[in-house]
Amino acid sequence: MTALALVRAHSRVALLDLFRSPSYVVPTVVFPAMFFALFDLQVARTQAAIADFATLAFMAWAVIGVALYQFGVGIAQERGRPWERYQRTLPASALIRFAARILSALVFGALAAACVALVARVFTPIDLTALQWLQVLAYSLAAGVPFVLFGITIGYWVSARAAVPIATAANLLLAYAGGLWMPPQYLPAVVQQISPFLPTRQFAELLWSVVDGRMPANAIAGLAAYTLLFGVLASRGYRRDERTRYA
Amino acid sequence: MMLSFENVSKSYGQTRALDSLSFGVDRDEIVAVLGPNGAGKTTAIDIALGLRAADSGTVELFGESPSRVAARRRLGATPQESGFPDALRVEEIVAFTAAHFDRPSAVRAALDAFGIADLAKRRAGTLSGGQSRRLALALAFAGNPELAVLDEPTTGLDVESRRRLWDVVRGAAAGRSILFTTHYLEEAEALATRIVVIDRGRLLFDGDPRQLRDRFGARRLTYVGDPLETQALGFPASFARADGHTIVTTADTDAYVRALVRTGTAFSDLEIAPASLEDAFLSITGGSKT
Repeated sequence: MTALALVRAHSRVALLDLFRSPSYVVPTVVFPAMFFALFDLQVARTQAAIADFATLAFMAWAVIGVALYQFGVGIAQERGRPWERYQRTLPASALIRFAARILSALVFGALAAACVALVARVFTPIDLTALQWLQVLAYSLAAGVPFVLFGITIGYWVSARAAVPIATAANLLLAYAGGLWMPPQYLPAVVQQISPFLPTRQFAELLWSVVDGRMPANAIAGLAAYTLLFGVLASRGYRRDERTRYA
Repeated sequence: MMLSFENVSKSYGQTRALDSLSFGVDRDEIVAVLGPNGAGKTTAIDIALGLRAADSGTVELFGESPSRVAARRRLGATPQESGFPDALRVEEIVAFTAAHFDRPSAVRAALDAFGIADLAKRRAGTLSGGQSRRLALALAFAGNPELAVLDEPTTGLDVESRRRLWDVVRGAAAGRSILFTTHYLEEAEALATRIVVIDRGRLLFDGDPRQLRDRFGARRLTYVGDPLETQALGFPASFARADGHTIVTTADTDAYVRALVRTGTAFSDLEIAPASLEDAFLSITGGSKT
């Protein structure tokens, strides 16, 4: 079997399983678009500038949620389970399984972000060019990397039982403090001080740069630092799990 | 040789799971690994499947390390317990496994062979214990492997379902080798062409079922009186003494009683009972039960 066919088979079962689990689909795909409609539509309907910023922030949140749930909760719950053990007896390398996880996360991330964009296109005067949308796509892929690694870190360091509350708390707190739900200047003063150092805020800054044209050097540096940090933690967690379970 | 273990040892911390274990599975053989819980069966299977590495010794699956993907292309295995993703349909799971192999069975044929064709559209989470075991077996054979490894294929099922599954496994065995673990002596006897008995990680017995039956089919005979001379008996028997009783473990208790009478040995309180599997392990390990 070619590697491509194997990645396809693995992502197919992963996607089928996820799409049939409302407890996964609702928070990752439905919530960002729904909260966007509830919180911001009132204001964004009439003001293009607000519509741009709010839409991009909620698209960032959509990608972040998928990264944290699919990798954090997904890995924590599958780790050491008989089905994971079984898959390791099949003639497919760990790389194939990981590629399938990335691929299915891309599908869900794109879907979740597209739902937000669709609500914005229908109900607000958001006005991005095709080139700008492409930039948003590329930036989201890049800024999603540290969150995928954050998810993997949760997946390998947290128990299956604790993964859902921890991923949820991280997702909600970081979204709020990062200014994804409301413009950062409306956050409480203390939170405003912390906000620029949070990866969620940095993700949003990167997307906002598509419309305001500013060079978000600090955000890029911050995301790179988080990528490094979570990269180290994720790979340590993975190795620890391999050592204890499969050595 | 499809699979070979040579002096394989494995410890988890202080616990020695396998102790210089050697055995193999040849072409067209059906080998049962029989042993009580905690004997090291699962560790042996884990190592054979490439899930764990041996501390020392040599393990070869089709002449290669089981951790290599190429070796596993000719291998099929059952998942443990009923660990399927709940939301997937039976046919989707079989198709997933089949996609890994060059010459898999058709999904339909695989479902038919294991009697689960009518469950094709059912979600795995809704299967009964017996249905899950059938799906697990279907997965082990779906890739048309040269060697299928079945980990406790019928554990937890009632006797009748177990027998029906044996027929299914026999049907799937043609043209390939099978290695399976069990703690049912009856299951090993019913299916295997060769039986390997392990306990505490060590090999206790490796032979065909008839040879095993001579030892495991043994009965226990207890009486008050002197034991007979072994040479005079002309058949194997092992002896122990407890509370003034002589305990004899042998395959032919009738012959022993006849010998008691023939030799005019005084005896009383004679009792005959089947020897348990535990007794059999003890007699093989050379332990004695009092």
